[in-house]
Amino acid sequence: MPDSGYPWPIETTRLDNGLRVVVSEDRTAPAVAVNLWYDVGSRHEPDGQTGFAHLFEHLMFEGSVNVAKTEHMKLVQGAGGSLNATTNPDRTNYFETVPAEHLELALWLEADRMGGLVPALTRETLDNQRDVVKNERRQRYENVPYGDAWLRLLPLLYPPGHPYHHATIGSMADLNAADLATFQDFHRTYYAPNNAVLTVVGDATAAEVFALADKYFGALPARESIPAAPDGRHVPAGGGPVTETVRGAVPAPRVFVAHRTHAFGTPGYDVLTVLATVLGSGRGSRLYQRLADGERIAQPDLVGAYGVDLAHAPAPLIATATARPGVGGERLAAGVAEVVDELATVPVTAAELDRAKALLSTGWWRQMSTVDGRADVLGRYATQFGDPAVAAERLPAWLAVTADQIAALAAEVLRAEDRVTLAYLPEESA
Amino acid sequence: MSLIADRPGPGLARPYRFPQVVRRGVAGGQVVAAHLPGQNLAVALLLLDAGAGREPVGREGLGAVLAKALEEGTTQRDATTYALAVEGLGTELVTGLDWDSFQVSVQVPVDRLPAAVELLAEAVRTPRLDPDDVRRVRDDEATALRMDWANPGPRAEAALRADLFGAENRWGRPMYGDPDSVAGLDVEDVTVFHSEWFLRPGTLIVAGDLERLDLDALGAAAFAGTGGGPVTSGGPIDVSLRAGRRIILVDRPGSVQSTLRLGHPSPHRAHPDHVPSLLAGTVLGGAFTSRLNHLIREVRGYTYGIRGEFASSRRFGRFAVSSGVQTAVTAPALVEAVGEISRTQAGGVTSDELAVARSWRAGQLSVELQSPRAIASALTTLVVHDLPDDYHARLRESLLAADVDQVSAAAATHLHPESLTLVVEGDAALIRDDLAATDLGEIVDPPR
Repeated sequence: MPDSGYPWPIETTRLDNGLRVVVSEDRTAPAVAVNLWYDVGSRHEPDGQTGFAHLFEHLMFEGSVNVAKTEHMKLVQGAGGSLNATTNPDRTNYFETVPAEHLELALWLEADRMGGLVPALTRETLDNQRDVVKNERRQRYENVPYGDAWLRLLPLLYPPGHPYHHATIGSMADLNAADLATFQDFHRTYYAPNNAVLTVVGDATAAEVFALADKYFGALPARESIPAAPDGRHVPAGGGPVTETVRGAVPAPRVFVAHRTHAFGTPGYDVLTVLATVLGSGRGSRLYQRLADGERIAQPDLVGAYGVDLAHAPAPLIATATARPGVGGERLAAGVAEVVDELATVPVTAAELDRAKALLSTGWWRQMSTVDGRADVLGRYATQFGDPAVAAERLPAWLAVTADQIAALAAEVLRAEDRVTLAYLPEESA
Repeated sequence: MSLIADRPGPGLARPYRFPQVVRRGVAGGQVVAAHLPGQNLAVALLLLDAGAGREPVGREGLGAVLAKALEEGTTQRDATTYALAVEGLGTELVTGLDWDSFQVSVQVPVDRLPAAVELLAEAVRTPRLDPDDVRRVRDDEATALRMDWANPGPRAEAALRADLFGAENRWGRPMYGDPDSVAGLDVEDVTVFHSEWFLRPGTLIVAGDLERLDLDALGAAAFAGTGGGPVTSGGPIDVSLRAGRRIILVDRPGSVQSTLRLGHPSPHRAHPDHVPSLLAGTVLGGAFTSRLNHLIREVRGYTYGIRGEFASSRRFGRFAVSSGVQTAVTAPALVEAVGEISRTQAGGVTSDELAVARSWRAGQLSVELQSPRAIASALTTLVVHDLPDDYHARLRESLLAADVDQVSAAAATHLHPESLTLVVEGDAALIRDDLAATDLGEIVDPPR
């Protein structure tokens, strides 16, 4: 059993303006990963501004004071690099991996869009990217069967006013209604050095990175007061199970069974991570063995369970299955619920536990096998737990989970009265 | 302003080196390995000459059904016991199929690789293939394809492929088959395909810390009980271009987007223009900064993204563009996409565009080839296309050496805007008239 999930050096500093800088040197390949976590996600969005955090994920590629529209992509790709960004309820991250000689370019680009986006943001760019986001919504959520499941699950799991109630893609009406100044304010508020973590992993020394960070980011002003997201740690009990049934153009019944559990990073969520793997990862999982193989009511490729790693409120566990031909939605939902219920009553065996831990270990080391994978993990732990070195504790914590802890957690958070069930049924069977 | 206005130039480049490649013959098969010192994870991938190109016409999807059937138990243990053994090592059996090869792989902490390779070989060489299991797996696979074909894309893709290559040919039919072809398979199809193609030794690819691995032992496990030699796969196929452009309209009522698949045949993988074509495709549609994405997404706002590139296998290739565009702008998006392809064919690329494209492609070799999985995939390319150990170093050099004239010449030679097949999958009632008004080509319905 490894003592550490992060056997590489980690060095940190904090610039005078509050920017935290994390460096993990690794000379294996002449590549370097640059990653910025901004502590702003859809949980920060007030009523009427849903979708803002995600829209910025787009706008940040559209130019800043010294970088022309679309030039950011061109410069990173022209340096041989890969780049992207993602937004979720908790945060927004921006990252590029470049050949090591282009580290300074990457830092210059990131500093320019942190400190210089607002003056460059035009109405034309805003309108264009609003259109792109609407196309993204069509492509990812509206034009594919079951595509809106996540959009439907969140409001069932979290009540109005809760920071996870609305989905990151947001409301198109909110995006349409806001003017340029409102978007500019959003950037000024959250895209500040003291609301971000800069992580660099790979072919660079800490001293070199700290000096470059100071050179490019050091003069950016801190933001004095950054409004916190609403506190979502306590979610009032829903007063019984919740079920939503959607009839539409889907090829087979599919169910999602979801529960609020614990926040990512807590001991309870470590147990949940192992529990989810026992329940729904791989052919040896309980859902596969019982529903795809045993009773044969679920399609084998489409059965599984996972926790969504959110850190600021009880995070969801989602179990899903899709019916084999001839099997109805109710029978499928009952089957999934039964397997979930049994986590509290049928003890997890040593073989089940070993299997889950082995899969989780491989998954952890796969994430660690690239400099970009490592950079994102360090950025997460620095942002959410104040210390990137805490990342090393995650794998050992998973490996220490016991069967008794899983049963106790299941009894605590997977109760039928707290269950959210979302079922899709084909139109003709309505 | 507290920002630094001057863009920094590059520092001193440190050369990228592809890991040392080791090749050796073991027990009748070949082991091809890359040394990744200090890497905690290792990947082993068995590469078999059993790609979709080996499936008989009318039996499309055979390889995919066999791939699933491998995990339904072996002569030594049942399906559940097998799953627990493999997953107890921390891996799943990952199978993959393309036109040229069938791949099955495991990824585990390095000390577990010998046990994982033994289990991999057990499934590939001695599957139980119980007839009831095979029939059930086939039915499940047909259902899975029906699920997949409810998404936008697969029907458009099938229509394009059939139009380019002819549905009478295996390579004119979907790589993974379609719901009907899979439903029509019988047990004997599967067992015969297994005995014909899965009992030859093939090549074992290994990516990991070779100081902690015994390649001879891994090879012996992978090739135990195998026999038979390589079988020729036939030379490049001569595919003719269409005389004129046409639109194939695939109806998807209620669709809020139109799915575009545009394409024409192009050279096979070993063609000497591979590198300049790759770069021409990159400038036109292969990167976020490409002409197509810039115009259709960044300027017009018609789409979330549009991609286009040359793709090739041992025997054939094609240039293809794919996107999803808002229904109301289907016709203008199509006109602009075809216009951009025509402009690139006629006018070539600029030196600025080419500089980005070649640096990007060359840089990706160091940036993307980090994980054992990525290295194993790169080794697979060496084996499938008979390339030398220093291929990646040479590729980097030839990418960086390609000039505007070469790349523009490749665009002029290998892009054929007048021969494009334009497949549009969307709400036909809403878009048919607009498409007809474009004069891009005759509108035809898809076959079947």
